[in-house]
Amino acid sequence: MKRDPVLAPAVLVVWGAVALFVLYPLGRLLVLTFWNGGPSLDAVRGLAGDWTHRAALVNSLLLAALVGVAGTALGLAFALLAVRANLPRWIAHGLDAVVLLPLISPPFTAAIALIFALGPRGLISYHVFGLTRVNIYGLWGTLLSETLTYFPIAYLTLKAVLANVDPNLEDSAFSLGARRWRVFRTVTLRLATPGVANAFLLVSAASLADFATPLILGGTKFPVLPTQAFLQITGLYDMRGGAALCFLLLVPALAIFAGQRWFTERRGGSFVTVTGKVGAATRVKTLSPAAVAALAVVCGLVVALVLVCYLLIFAASIVRGLGADNSLSLTHYAHVFSGGLKAVRDTLVIAVICMPVGGLFAVVLGFLVSRTQFPGRRMLEFAAMMNYALPGTIVGIAYLVAFNDAPLALTGTAFILVVCYVFRYSLAGTRATSAVLAQIDPSIEEASASLGARRDLTFRRVVLPLVRPALLAGMTVLFIRAMTAISATIFLVSLDWSLVTVRILEGITNLELGQASAFSVLVIVLVYLAVAVASLTMRRLNAGSLGQAGTLLGG
Amino acid sequence: MTVERGQRLTLEHVTKRFRREGQSEVAAVNDVTLSVEPGELLTLLGPSGCGKTTTLRMVAGFEQPDAGRIYIGADDVTELMVYRRSIGFVFQNYALFPHLTVFENVAYGLRVRRLPEATIHARVSQVLDLVGLPGYERRFPNQLSGGEQQRVAVARAVVVEPQLLLFDEPLSNLDAKLRVQMRAELSRLQRQLAITTVYVTHDQEEAMAISDRIAVMRQGTLAQVGTAEELYRAPRSTFVAQFIGRVNLVESRVLARSGGRVAVALWDASLSVPGGDGYAVGQRLSLVLRPESLALVAESAKPAEGEVVVPGIVRSRTFLGEKVEYAVEAAGALLQVVAYDPTRRGVVEVGARVGVACDVTAVRVLGAEP
Amino acid sequence: MRNGCVTVGVALLLITGLAGPATAQTINVYTAWPESLSQPIFKAYTAKTGVQVNFIRLSTGELVARATAEKNNPRADVIWGAPGDGFAAAKEAGILEPYRPPTWDRLAAELKDREAYYTAVAKNTLVFMSNAKLLKEKGLKPPASWNDLLDAAYKGQIQTADARTSGTALTRILSIYYAFGRDEDKAFDYQKKLNANVQVYTKSGGGCTIPAALGQAIVCIAHLPDAMEAKKKGYDMVVTFPKEGVAAVIEAVALVKGAKNRDAATKFIDWTFSRDMQDLLDKNQVYMLPTLPGASVEPSVQSLMKEAKLLPVDLDWVGKNRKRLVERWVNEVIKE
Repeated sequence: MKRDPVLAPAVLVVWGAVALFVLYPLGRLLVLTFWNGGPSLDAVRGLAGDWTHRAALVNSLLLAALVGVAGTALGLAFALLAVRANLPRWIAHGLDAVVLLPLISPPFTAAIALIFALGPRGLISYHVFGLTRVNIYGLWGTLLSETLTYFPIAYLTLKAVLANVDPNLEDSAFSLGARRWRVFRTVTLRLATPGVANAFLLVSAASLADFATPLILGGTKFPVLPTQAFLQITGLYDMRGGAALCFLLLVPALAIFAGQRWFTERRGGSFVTVTGKVGAATRVKTLSPAAVAALAVVCGLVVALVLVCYLLIFAASIVRGLGADNSLSLTHYAHVFSGGLKAVRDTLVIAVICMPVGGLFAVVLGFLVSRTQFPGRRMLEFAAMMNYALPGTIVGIAYLVAFNDAPLALTGTAFILVVCYVFRYSLAGTRATSAVLAQIDPSIEEASASLGARRDLTFRRVVLPLVRPALLAGMTVLFIRAMTAISATIFLVSLDWSLVTVRILEGITNLELGQASAFSVLVIVLVYLAVAVASLTMRRLNAGSLGQAGTLLGG
Repeated sequence: MTVERGQRLTLEHVTKRFRREGQSEVAAVNDVTLSVEPGELLTLLGPSGCGKTTTLRMVAGFEQPDAGRIYIGADDVTELMVYRRSIGFVFQNYALFPHLTVFENVAYGLRVRRLPEATIHARVSQVLDLVGLPGYERRFPNQLSGGEQQRVAVARAVVVEPQLLLFDEPLSNLDAKLRVQMRAELSRLQRQLAITTVYVTHDQEEAMAISDRIAVMRQGTLAQVGTAEELYRAPRSTFVAQFIGRVNLVESRVLARSGGRVAVALWDASLSVPGGDGYAVGQRLSLVLRPESLALVAESAKPAEGEVVVPGIVRSRTFLGEKVEYAVEAAGALLQVVAYDPTRRGVVEVGARVGVACDVTAVRVLGAEP
Repeated sequence: MRNGCVTVGVALLLITGLAGPATAQTINVYTAWPESLSQPIFKAYTAKTGVQVNFIRLSTGELVARATAEKNNPRADVIWGAPGDGFAAAKEAGILEPYRPPTWDRLAAELKDREAYYTAVAKNTLVFMSNAKLLKEKGLKPPASWNDLLDAAYKGQIQTADARTSGTALTRILSIYYAFGRDEDKAFDYQKKLNANVQVYTKSGGGCTIPAALGQAIVCIAHLPDAMEAKKKGYDMVVTFPKEGVAAVIEAVALVKGAKNRDAATKFIDWTFSRDMQDLLDKNQVYMLPTLPGASVEPSVQSLMKEAKLLPVDLDWVGKNRKRLVERWVNEVIKE
């Protein structure tokens, strides 16, 4: 490697980019928190004294754990139904489509809809069930909303895991005399355990980083860390305090992330076996009709709730004022395409720029990390992931601190938005690249070298064409995230570049709910289209598994 | 493509160490010195883990030796990057580019060298004819059978007219019959092109079938280098004796010595075998008895001229069509005996009491010169 | 090819990055006013002068925080339309430049900062807005006093702003402070009791309007314009004032120190304090009182404001004590 004339510059460029846009901002944040003329713990000490911050730490962890459990359980129920209940195709597809909704919408749409549905005088809680004492604010409301928003992540992960459990193993267990429940418990679930653990961690991490839902539903009685950090800065003008809160959040976030990586990296003694020769058309037998019925009820309820939420959003977008003046009107959409057009245009421009830049970056990084050797490779991989692992609030604040003035004044430009997205959301593309490359024997690259091609030529002629699906997957994820992100970018919007999600949040706080809903619907439609196009293209490229929503949205 | 293309390959004290997790360093290749004559096909033969593939990869440039030098012709290529060496490498799994047609696969190296389009076309057609795949240009690798993919891989490697051709167990993914057929073709091709070739395999029959010389490797070092005949007739170590073909090694000792021959004990008799001067009377040694030099005779049969007989009991019998393999318990050991043409000559049952007759002219001392 | 892509990518980014800064015919404005109120006004200015008004709407807190963070490299030229206490904080942070528009002397003393760091463009006030249907259902009269809200009938039925994000909340805290005769301890004691009846504290000042309109809460304590907007939308709301009084809120305008388009900015501020703009408050149904004497006033607003007992606020004191008041609210009032 030392003598490879192409590898070294490539690694340097990538390292440079990662150092500048991942490590430098975090470093500045660190300095802000822990340096005050000299090294100082004042900022952190100040936090410990404030009850809202202490409560926020506890609440964040508690909420993350609860959402993790609930989300994973729900995801498992759905996954079992999808994989093991022999559902008719149209139901299976319908299930997928509905479950996708929370993942492709701005993260707080569920929260808003729930206020309409289950808040005081909510359409469901009051108008249907006549309950008046339902309190949607606080822990339970937030828990419900986040579970609905993030269980699809668990669902997609577990669906893949369950589908990969070799049915031959279960058949052997049956042939040895075990009954259904025993087989499920001792074979299926055991093999799926790492997947379940992984799903739990993914959902918990999402909850931990969730900024917008608790902002709307948490109320003052249930503070959580990302929201507190946001409020500390925007409400109390305390950058240092906000930065310190970020660090409180950093520790559990990194711990969860490390745990999650550990589960996915275990190749030796892999629990999930994928054999090339699957037993010819084994009937999957591990779900009894009673189990299917029970699961169907649970999942059916959840599906109904999700649908109601989104119908409410849609309804709010096409009536003048939901709840008061229910006359149909397209004024909200009119606004979206006139006054809101700048935000829509800006968001699309940013998203479209992100796609090739981030997509290519992800592929190059994936290649460097999984196919080459150089000192510091593991560190580069880890560093490149950090902005993804960290809650968006931390990244947003770090960028604000680092890039606001010299030496690099970038706030207010499209550049910083693109950079933020690229370094936060390229991981899916990198992972997809690694996954695709894992299926390609390294001897192919060696063959190219043996025929006289230098590293970069091999990359261009052999690797890149073969990882095209991964490139596409990465680009799709970037597009989706760019359309729906809020927690980091709320700190980075400016006079010149506005984003639809920020406008939605503003709309909610300004009670322009119709407008906010119209924007939301637009985002959902655009993202849905992107996913559909990507999936179709992938299928044509014969990389079906990559094009599935799981890869695009779960990561 | 009948240009003389032969360069000498020389390895001098080549060593490669690997460090495994949590353990101390292990030398995968330990001080190997070897040369391959221009146009020769040398096989690196040995069990898995013996270092043969690592050695091959160092010659190719995929790995870097920790010590030692490698020369192609007069050029020291030890430090040279893979893509600068003039080699053709055929992989065990063929490593065809899945996204390119057969034509483009074969043309790849020529395109890298920026040859004119017309030349590329001509050479590709020529080489595809050579490997027996005319008209396959437009197909994709996933539309080819294993044997066809193999040939494309070979075509791709030779079309660039390399100075050195390297094969890494190219036939191990094919089924048995195809393997036999393909190795004959590879051998024919190599002779026709006269490119210096290094071939790696763990299959000793394959090695013997195609090689000019064989280098047997064990745990990173060369155990013995020689022609197939040399290795078979005069193995220098137990390992080589047992690795090449099947063998009975019988413990013996020197009874007397005279004029380049030694008298050794074999069962109850003594016989005279070529030996040389390096032996002392009473010295313990092993005798190499190949199964085909043993025969089953009637238990009470008298030994013929030039024969030594020992009584035994047949413990197992394996009918393999053209031959039968017996394991006979005699003189405290289990002897392997093979008899050909059993359909005509008859088969002995398990448990029968027999005599094992050994042709004394076929006996060799282990480690002696051939 | 990879190098080519990188070059193209970098070029793209540079271009878009450089496309950021404004041209001479643009001014950059941060405002806390809802877009529906601010945009027509800015459009009118553009129609008159051809100067583009590039604005972004943030809540007061975000606005001040952002401007403070940008201190060394200000992006905005003018902070236009936010509660006075936000400006007090901004002044403390040293991000404003004193500026006197031509009509400065004609404005009453309580409508401007003594050192001209900021000037009031409109007068606003806090109101109680109640859901008429719910009041009838529960047999309640519209709340007419701060103490009315402590009634058990209102338990879990009040929504109002969170002091950490909304300037409106500070107005409420100040109103209570002044209503209780500047006795801070009594004021906070009251707020602790009020807290028991509060369902949720909203992120933005007007965030409780729709919930109250929809009947999710009975009372929303917010600004007058929010209430009037709700009524305009067709919701049946009742607007009342506490008899003890509410703080007189000023919505102000200030010039940012180091503004990149200073000349255009000052011209804009001059226009803000002209009859031209001040009349728009009435014309556009903003429901706030103009500060320039002689500007036209909407009669219903005027009569409504007459009902209110407006308590004068010492903005300098507010500027110095703002943080402490909010922290006290966080630590004493909302603590479990």
